[in-house]
Amino acid sequence: MKIITPIKQVPETSNVKMDEETGTMVRDGVESIINPLDLYAIEAAIELKEEHGGEVIAVTMGPPSAEKAIKEAIAMGCDDGILLSGREFAGADTWATAYTLSRCIDDIGDYDLIFCGLQATDGDTAQVGPGIASFLDLPLATYVSSIEDVHIADDTTYTEPDENYIELERLLEEGYEKLRMPLPALITVVKEINFPRLPTLSGKRKARDKDVTPKNSEHIEMKEEYLGLQGSPTRVVNIDRPKVTRGGKMIDARDESKQEEAVEELINYLNANELL
Amino acid sequence: MRYNPVTEEILAELKEIVGEKNVLSEKEKIEAYSHDETPKEKYARMPEVVVKPSSTEEVQSVVKLANRELIPVTPRGAGSGLSGGAIPEHGGIVLSVENMDEVIEYDFDNMMMVLQGGVITNNVQEDLAEEGLFFAGYPMSLESCFIGGNIAENAGGGKAVKYGVTGRYVMGMEVVLPTGEVMELGGKRVKDVTGYDLKKLMIGSEGTLGIVTETTIKLLPKPTKEVALLVLFDDPDTAISTVPKIMTETGIIPTGIEFMDRRSVQASCEYLNEHLPYQDCGAMLLIEVDGAEEEQVENDYFKIGEICEENGAQEVYVADNHTTRERVWDVRRNIAEAFMVVSPEQSLEDIVVPIASIPDLIPELDKLSEKYDIQIPCYGHAGDGNLHATLVKNPEHSMEEWYEIEEKCLEDMYEVTYKLGGTISGEHGIGSKRKKYFPDAVSETELELMKKIKKAFDPNNIMNPGKIFDLD
Ligand SMILES: Cc1cc2nc3c(=O)[nH]c(=O)nc-3n(C[C@H](O)[C@H](O)[C@H](O)COP(=O)(O)OP(=O)(O)OC[C@H]3O[C@@H](n4cnc5c(N)ncnc54)[C@H](O)[C@@H]3O)c2cc1C
Repeated sequence: MKIITPIKQVPETSNVKMDEETGTMVRDGVESIINPLDLYAIEAAIELKEEHGGEVIAVTMGPPSAEKAIKEAIAMGCDDGILLSGREFAGADTWATAYTLSRCIDDIGDYDLIFCGLQATDGDTAQVGPGIASFLDLPLATYVSSIEDVHIADDTTYTEPDENYIELERLLEEGYEKLRMPLPALITVVKEINFPRLPTLSGKRKARDKDVTPKNSEHIEMKEEYLGLQGSPTRVVNIDRPKVTRGGKMIDARDESKQEEAVEELINYLNANELL
Repeated sequence: MRYNPVTEEILAELKEIVGEKNVLSEKEKIEAYSHDETPKEKYARMPEVVVKPSSTEEVQSVVKLANRELIPVTPRGAGSGLSGGAIPEHGGIVLSVENMDEVIEYDFDNMMMVLQGGVITNNVQEDLAEEGLFFAGYPMSLESCFIGGNIAENAGGGKAVKYGVTGRYVMGMEVVLPTGEVMELGGKRVKDVTGYDLKKLMIGSEGTLGIVTETTIKLLPKPTKEVALLVLFDDPDTAISTVPKIMTETGIIPTGIEFMDRRSVQASCEYLNEHLPYQDCGAMLLIEVDGAEEEQVENDYFKIGEICEENGAQEVYVADNHTTRERVWDVRRNIAEAFMVVSPEQSLEDIVVPIASIPDLIPELDKLSEKYDIQIPCYGHAGDGNLHATLVKNPEHSMEEWYEIEEKCLEDMYEVTYKLGGTISGEHGIGSKRKKYFPDAVSETELELMKKIKKAFDPNNIMNPGKIFDLD
């Protein structure tokens, strides 16, 4: 089985500071890590590989320093990685990014599954995974919380759709949805799916010894006009910080005579908001 | 020693000194000052009053009053202590330095800073990080404990293998003596052999010789890269016997080497819902290296990790960013918390032996566990030879049985520790919790000399009486 995991390098935001004046993040000295949600995609891919055999290839588009993300993915257990890096990619929006990644994945070829994280913590758009699926004309399942079964016929030419499928569960607002999809397919995963492993020393050794040579549009066939800023239909006009207005509800239960009433009020409130 | 009670007149005088709102005497409000992090049921004592001075002068006035009226004064930091140090054994006044939380000076030319005794240790770090500096005193409780409390206990922590303990970084201090005088010790001089080193005497004196109102601490350039290795072993012996080799065979001094036995790991991982493959592992080491160059740190952790592999490690996990480092440190940091859920009746110990003797200590602890039919999970700063073996009450034992077992088992445990060239506390101190065992830990000559020193500082024995040892 060949699984591809597109990943993104993002700033480590758990202890990040905001510049109060500009409303932007202070990037000085901030570490870069693999987008936390992509770790679940990597874990899901590695688990499948461990069960069924095959290989997992991580793909990222980013500056040359994004090599670190590829190496981290290899240290976790991916077999190989491709770094797409070049001036022509700079300024890409989700559409151009999805296009570029889809070209690279097409170039790898012969894949059975593509696993993406739900979204990246820096942009929060959740568009790149579905975008890749659409460029590659693949069936897509988002918000996947569990993989039940993967079935691949010995003959992997995908002529018999019923013989090559994945069964999974998607997280919906009010429950789960079970799906069976023909392969190859793309899925985006949520945190419920697994517990990502930590990289090991032997993984780090493998990653250290691996050459990750950046590839660009000279190595992979791509339409120049679809790349980078010029290929991006999205324009960022303004960045605004939303005002967070969280309301609180106080239920008075200070004196004992009111406590029963208070419990009832709380239950009613939770019921009314469908929280019970 | 007979002490006098805190009367209405004295309360009025205290309010005069620190202001009405900084004097607490209602039961509900002072209850929080009756205990530290030792088990409440056993060690807590109510103060008569809590005072919260805001300046050195106010501390002086309170202490002078107490000395004049023969009322005990117990200095208190954040109350995170693990030996009962901040508990008012004899009632009287608890003097909390919580209002004295100002940074007085950043002196970056000397790489030092001057601060009041009530500054939270971690707050110092946050300010300094922006300057590329840090304070190397690093107890695991750093998000709550105060710098004054760290000095009074000479706190250690998770980075002591490389950086040593708090005392190494204390350059100077201002102390209010039990008689009320103020004394400056040390300063910004890197070297100083002008007379006895009274500053060192104050460090680790557990609030019995005076109150640290201000201190000057030394800062270091902050390492830019830190990597933690979480290493899984089949059993504690294999893990522990690897510890000395980590340093002798690589020539690298890690910042910390933390040990966790099977029980500690399981309790903590379950508590955290951590899914590392801990089920089949008998012990873990958490090893951290730091440095200014990424490449150097990478070489270091590879060398150390490879020594672990050669010594039979099941797996070596590498945490080289903030998120993964926090994840592995969480396993270590939450052990005590996790055991609180398992059983709140426990005795958290702090024995310390020469590092090469740790492999001999572990089987002895197993024997004690069997002999007394209790669990003794063991974790701690293996790289310093300092282990927090913890006696956990067997739910089948009654409280009376437990207290008896606790006492006997501690006697046995300390006996073993002495035999290995160790002693009863590495970083938590004697306080009231270990006072009973203290005379066995030192020679008679030493004990007598300590008593004379105490009397010279505190002729009326009002400063944190009932701690470390009793005066006759
Ligand atoms: C979860 C946890 C983890 C911990 N980890 C570590 C660790 O890694 N290493 C370690 O060494 N300890 C550790 N401790 C123990 C404790 O945090 C330290 O001993 C700490 O230094 C106590 O500081 P504090 O401000 O809480 O002092 P308190 O508990 O308030 O007081 C401790 C002693 O210091 C005296 N004192 C306090 N302030 C002053 C002052 N200004 N002048 C004179 N005397 C004073 C008190 O009288 C008392 O004797 C840990 C505790 C907890 C709860």
